[in-house]
Amino acid sequence: MESTSAPIGDYGLLGDTRTATLVSSDGSLDWFCVPRFDGEPIFGRLVGGAAAGRFRIGPSTPSPVASRRYRDHSATLETTWETPEGHLTLTEGMVADISGSLLPATLLVRRLSAHGRTCEAVVEFDPRLGEAHRHPRVSRRSDLVVCEWGSLAMSLRSDVPTVIEPGTPTVILVAPGQPVTFVVAVAHREPLIDVEPTEAWSLLLQDEQRWRVWSEGVAEGLRFREAVVRSLITLRLLTYSPSGAPVAAPTTSLPEHPGGVRNWDYRLAWPRDASIGIAAFLNVGMVDEARGFLWWLLHASRLDRPRLPVLLTLDGRRSPPERSLRDWPGYASSTPVRVGNGAANQHQLDGYGWVVDAAWVLVRAGHPLYAETWRAVRGFTDLVARRWSDPDAGIWEVRAGDVHHVHSKLMAWLALDRALCIAETHGLSDRQRRRWQATRAALGDEVRDRGFDLSAGTYTRSYGSQDLDAALLVLPLIGLDPPDSARVRGTIDAIRRDLTAGGPLLYRYPPGRDGLPGTEGAFLPCSFWLVQALARAGQEADAVEVFEQLLDRATPLGLYGEEMDPTTGEHLGNYPQALTAAALVQAALALSPPNTSTAGSVRESSPIATPSDVPDVVG
Amino acid sequence: MDWAGWAVFGLVSTAALTAVMTSAQLAGLTRLDLPLVLGTLVTEDPDRARIAGFVIHLGVGQLFALGYTTLFSLLGQATWWLGGLLGLLHAAVALLVLLPLLPGLHPRMASHRAGPSSRAVLEPPGLLALNYGIQTPTVAVVAHLVYGTVLGLLLQGG
Repeated sequence: MESTSAPIGDYGLLGDTRTATLVSSDGSLDWFCVPRFDGEPIFGRLVGGAAAGRFRIGPSTPSPVASRRYRDHSATLETTWETPEGHLTLTEGMVADISGSLLPATLLVRRLSAHGRTCEAVVEFDPRLGEAHRHPRVSRRSDLVVCEWGSLAMSLRSDVPTVIEPGTPTVILVAPGQPVTFVVAVAHREPLIDVEPTEAWSLLLQDEQRWRVWSEGVAEGLRFREAVVRSLITLRLLTYSPSGAPVAAPTTSLPEHPGGVRNWDYRLAWPRDASIGIAAFLNVGMVDEARGFLWWLLHASRLDRPRLPVLLTLDGRRSPPERSLRDWPGYASSTPVRVGNGAANQHQLDGYGWVVDAAWVLVRAGHPLYAETWRAVRGFTDLVARRWSDPDAGIWEVRAGDVHHVHSKLMAWLALDRALCIAETHGLSDRQRRRWQATRAALGDEVRDRGFDLSAGTYTRSYGSQDLDAALLVLPLIGLDPPDSARVRGTIDAIRRDLTAGGPLLYRYPPGRDGLPGTEGAFLPCSFWLVQALARAGQEADAVEVFEQLLDRATPLGLYGEEMDPTTGEHLGNYPQALTAAALVQAALALSPPNTSTAGSVRESSPIATPSDVPDVVG
Repeated sequence: MDWAGWAVFGLVSTAALTAVMTSAQLAGLTRLDLPLVLGTLVTEDPDRARIAGFVIHLGVGQLFALGYTTLFSLLGQATWWLGGLLGLLHAAVALLVLLPLLPGLHPRMASHRAGPSSRAVLEPPGLLALNYGIQTPTVAVVAHLVYGTVLGLLLQGG
C-alpha cells in the first residue's frame, strides 16, 4: 500500500476561508480545490496519485526539516530545511481578506529564503484539473505563466528569472538576502488579476497581522490558550466566509483506516458542527463568529424546516449524489475516493439537540433570539416531540439501517429541555409548553428504562444492545441524570474501560460494528468529550491528564484529524477536522477557571449548556 | 399614460408578486425572501427588516409598474400577454443582473470574495439566485409572469 503522499499528520493547512490547501513538510502542495472548498482539485496528489498534480517548492535534494511552525497566532506556515548548502526557509500562506481591493479571490503566496549560503531549490508546478486530471492550456504573458481550463484560470508569477514550465521540475538558486516569491492567482468566471510578488508578500504580512489581532479576542487567562487559539484559527479557516458554512474538513476520502473503505467526502457543512462551533466561539468571546454560524443554520435549513438537514453544501443546497471517482487510487490505496455524501438523506435525531442547545447557549450568554430564530427553534422542537420515538441513523451516520440510538434519544431530550429553558424568557403557549414537558418526561423515562443496562450499570449504544457508544459521554453535560450519579459515572467508566484504544484514545463504538468491512481508528472528538465528561463529573485531575495526553498527540502544527491509529499514532480520516478542533476548545474551556471570560461573553464550559446560572435576558 | 391605473394596479401587481414569492418560500421551494433582503438594507433585525423590506418592495414594485405603464402607453395597448412577456424580461433582468449585482450594494450581504473580516451575514444569491435553492429561478419567473400579466390585464380593462 505505497502512497505518493506524506503521512496525513505531516500536512499543514493553508487557507483563506473560501478554500484551503494542504502542504507537506517537503513543500508539496498536494490538495487544493478551487474556487472553493468543494470545487474540483487542481492539485489532487493527496488522494489522486501522481497524475493528479502538485506544486512543490523545496530543497532540490531530500533534506531534514529543521523547524516547522505557524508564525505566531497566524495562518502563515514556515518550514526550514537543513540543506547541504545551508538553511532554506519556505514561508507561505493564502491572502484571506481581499474585499474592497482589486485582488484575485484566491491568492497563494510562497516565499523561499536562504540563510548562510546560496541554496539550491526545486520548483515543480504541475496543475491538473478534476477527475480526469486535465492538463491546462499553457500560455505566457510577460513574466506570467497562465494555465487555463475553460472558465477557470490559474497564473504563476515569481521574481526568479528562470522560466517555470508546468509539469517540469525546475532547479533555482536562492541567495541569502534575496528571497524568491511565487504568487499563484486563480480566476473562476472572471478575469485573472495579476499581483506583483512584492505586493503579494506585503498582502500576506498584512493578513498575518489581521489573524494576530483576531486571536487577541481569545480570553487571556484561558488554560491551554495556545492550543485553543490554533484550533480556533483552524475552525475559522474552515468556515466558508461567503455563506458562513462550517466545512467539516477540506478533504475527501482520507481513510479512517489505511487501505479501508471508510472514505467520505467532508467538504460539506453539518448543522451539528455549526452548533458546536457556536458554543466554541461564543465561550471564548467571539460573538460575531457564533452569530454567523446561527445565521447560517437558520438560512440554510429554511427550505427543509422543520426538518433539519443532516448536511448541506456550502451555499445551503442538498449534497450532490454520492459517487466514486474513477481510477483514483486513493490515499494509501484506500478506495473508493468519493465525492458527495450519501448521509444527506438520513434521519438523525441528535442534530436537533445540538441546534436547540446552541440557541440556548446564546440565550444564556445574554443574546436573546430574534422572533424568527425562536420560531425556527420551536419548529425543530415540535418535530422532536413528534418523532422522538422513531429509530434513526444516529450521530455516526451508520448505513446499516436505523435503530433506537440512546445518544439520539438523549439529544432529543436535550432539545426539549433547552427549548423549555429558552421559553422561560421567550413567548410560548401554555399548550405547547405542557406538551413539551410531557414529552420530555416520557422520553426521559423511556431512555432510562430501555437505554440502560442494569447488569452492566451503563447506558448502551441502542435499545437492547450491549455495545457502548462514546457519544454517550455527553451524559454528564445534559442534565438527564446528575453528573455524579451512579448511572453517569458507570457509563463513563464503562466507556473508558471497553472502548479504550490505549492512552487517552477511544473508539466511538466497538470497531467494525457499522456494517462495513474492515476497521477504523480511534475517534478523536470522543477523547475530548471524555475530558469534558470527567471535568463535569468532578474528576478534574484525571481530565487534565487526559487532555495533556491528547495535546501530545497533535501534529507538530497543532492540527488533528478525525481519527488516530492507536498503534502508530498516525492521524486518520479527513484532515484537519473541524469537529475535533471544536471539541478541543470545549474541553479546554471545561478545564479553565470558572471566572475566565472575555468582555461581552458569558463563558460556558461545555458544548452543551446546563440550564443553571441563567443571566438576565431580554425576552 | 393611465396614472390612476399605474398607482392602483402597480400596488395590486406587486402584492400578487409578493404573495407568489412568499407562498413559494413557505412551501419550501426557495429561500429567496425579498422583504428580508431589501429590509436588511436598513436594519439587521430580521423581524423589523421584513416590515421595512415589504414597504421598500412596494415602492420598487411601483417603479417597475411605471416602466410597464410607460411601455404599454408607447405601444398603444395593454394586454395580459404583453404584460406577461414584459414580466419574463423583468425576471431575466432580476435573475441575471439585479440579484448578482446586489452583493456590491448591500451592506449586509457577503460576496463570493468575503473573508474573515466580513461581518456580512446574508448569503450572496449567486447566478440565477441558485444559492437560494435550485427552484428559485422558476419561482422568480412565475412571480414576475404573474406581476406582468396582472398589470397588463388590469390596465387593459382600465
